[in-house]
Parts: sequence; structure tokens; C-alpha cells
Amino acid sequence: MGAAAAIADLGVEDLEALFDQVAAQSAAGREEAPAGPQKAAAARAADAEPADMFHRVGHLTRTLHDALHELGYDRKIETAVHGLPDARDRLNYIAKLTGEAAERALSAVERGQEIQKSMGERIAGLSASWEKLHAGQLPVEAFKALAAETRNFLAAAPKEVEETNAQFHAIMMAQDFHDLTGQVINRVVTLAQSLEGQLVKLLIETRTAEGRAGGEEWLGGPAMNSAERTDVVTNQAQVDDLLESLGF
Amino acid sequence: MDMTNIRFLVVDDFSTMRRIVRNLLKEIGHSNVDEAEDGQVALTKLKASTFDFVVSDLNMPNMNGFELLRQIRADATLKSLPVLLVTAEAKKEDIVTAAQIGASGYIVKPFTKATLEDKLGKILAKVA
Repeated sequence: MGAAAAIADLGVEDLEALFDQVAAQSAAGREEAPAGPQKAAAARAADAEPADMFHRVGHLTRTLHDALHELGYDRKIETAVHGLPDARDRLNYIAKLTGEAAERALSAVERGQEIQKSMGERIAGLSASWEKLHAGQLPVEAFKALAAETRNFLAAAPKEVEETNAQFHAIMMAQDFHDLTGQVINRVVTLAQSLEGQLVKLLIETRTAEGRAGGEEWLGGPAMNSAERTDVVTNQAQVDDLLESLGF
Repeated sequence: MDMTNIRFLVVDDFSTMRRIVRNLLKEIGHSNVDEAEDGQVALTKLKASTFDFVVSDLNMPNMNGFELLRQIRADATLKSLPVLLVTAEAKKEDIVTAAQIGASGYIVKPFTKATLEDKLGKILAKVA
């Protein structure tokens, strides 16, 4: 898909080389001539007899087909539907990134826990021995061994601490999926809104006269969230009401 | 520029990414970091205070990284400010555009601490 495929096509070194090359070429003339912007894109039928339901579904399909063609929505919806495989790829990409992030974070936590558990056990053992020494219960030879063991522990501790910090770093870096998946989710949401908008407009324009008469009150009524949304018909409650009024 | 206390502005619409960059900068040795959630907020902060270095995302609402970069390069006071772009946009045309309008560097996400440190070092070496 988009970013991932592009990265696959173009290695990081290639990207850097390309950047350096263009930057060098552009540096001199930039102030005089900056480049232009790259702009960035039927439930009710359940009670009916099977034959009646079949007839109604057939009628609806015919109406839908004709309306789509007459209103030009066939092309618009076709365009929106063509976006669905891309949306599926994007959602798969999100699942992959979040899954990998979780694995990375959990692996780092497990490694960090191993290090801390090992250090904790060695600290507990040394501490117990030092308590024995202070209680006068440690023979001289055992004290010598304790001193050597303590020295070894202190010498190794900085590396263990560094390794633990590396695991913290890995856990932090695993969170970089949020930015990447967030951008992809925004694109999928835009696609879903576009598809929903086209379908709702189609339903409004193909409603029967009876359906229209029953629906004007809420359609023409106070618009909820009108400050945030220009197309108030995309409000989910209205969509649900509209679908219900149409017998879905 | 005081190389021992470089003041960074990290610009990204995702708070997690800002925290990651802030933490990476801290690990590299730079703890004087402020944040902005888009280009517009960044520009306001840049004009209200003094910063030495900008690390910015590209794809943001209100004002994207390209526009922020253009505004910085067009401003008499800010035009020489180093701007490192850190972005998921890996398209050639974006990289070409970034270089043409005066980006100091370009890092593609996801990236590592080593990559950030390397790019920072190269840019700061040029500025110094």
C-alpha cells in the first residue's frame, strides 16, 4: 500500500541520496525562485411472504439501478467502491503495524523483566550474606567470597542497567505505530464518509412520494451538529431514521 | 547557536510521535524541547520565541510541514532556521519538493535514534 509500498520501492539510502542531490541542486536558486506547492485526496420484509419479499427486493433493485444510472450515481458509487480494496489494504496495514508493535513491546517487557528478576535475586542473596556478616555469623573464607561476589555484581550492574534502559527504549519506539496508523485510519474514514454520503444522497433522491411526506419533518428540522458538519444528512441518527422510513 | 543548549521545536499532530521525538532528543542529549501540534501553532511559537532547530512532520491539519517550511524560509528572521522533516511520506515527489523549498534534512518514519542522531549531527555541523 501507499507509504509502505513506496518505501519498499525506494530504499532509505536511495531516499537520502535523492534528497541530498535535489537539495544541492536547489540550494542556490531557492531564494529567487521557490518551487510551487505540491498540493498535496429490509428488516420489515421478514414478516412478508417469500414471493412478496422477492417482488419487493426485485422492485427495489430495479429502482436502485435506474436511479443510479439517471442520477449519475453509478459512476460516483463505482468510484467509491473502487476505494474499498485500498481501504482493506490500509486496514490490513494497521493490523500488521499494531500487531508488530505489541510484539515488540511485549518482547522488550519480557526481556526487561528477566534482567530485573536476575538482578533482584543476586541483590537479595548478597544482602542476606551481608546481614550474616554484620550478625557475626560469616566465617572469614565466606566473607572473602562475599566481597569478591559483591565486586563482580557491582562491575556487571551498569551493563544490566544499560540493557534494561535499552528495553525501555524499545518499548517507547514500538509506539511509533500510532502516528502511522492514525494517518491511514483518517484516510479510511474519509473513504467511508464519502461512500456513506453518496448512498444517503441516493436514498433521499429515490424515496417514494409517501416516504418523502413522512420524512420531511425530521429532514427539515433542526440540524444537529450543524456547526461541525455541513451535510447534516450524514448524521448517523438521521441516516438510521431515513433507512427505517424506507423499510430497511 | 549555543550547541550545549539547543532549543528544539517538535511539530507533529500526533502527541505520541511528539513524545517519542522529545524522548529521543533527550537520549541524544537535548532536553530543551517545546512542541506544536501543527504548522500554524508552530509558526506562532517560532515568531513569539527563539528556537534553534525545528523537527517537523509533513502531513498535518491546518498547516502542513511543506507550508510551514515555506513560511519559515520566507520570513526574514526565521529563514536560516534548520528544519528537519520527519515523515511517513516516502514519495519521491515529496522528497524533491522538501529539498527544493529548503528542508535541512528528511527522515522517513519509522526511524531509529541512530538515524535521528546522524541527521542532527550533519545539520548542526553545517550550521556551526
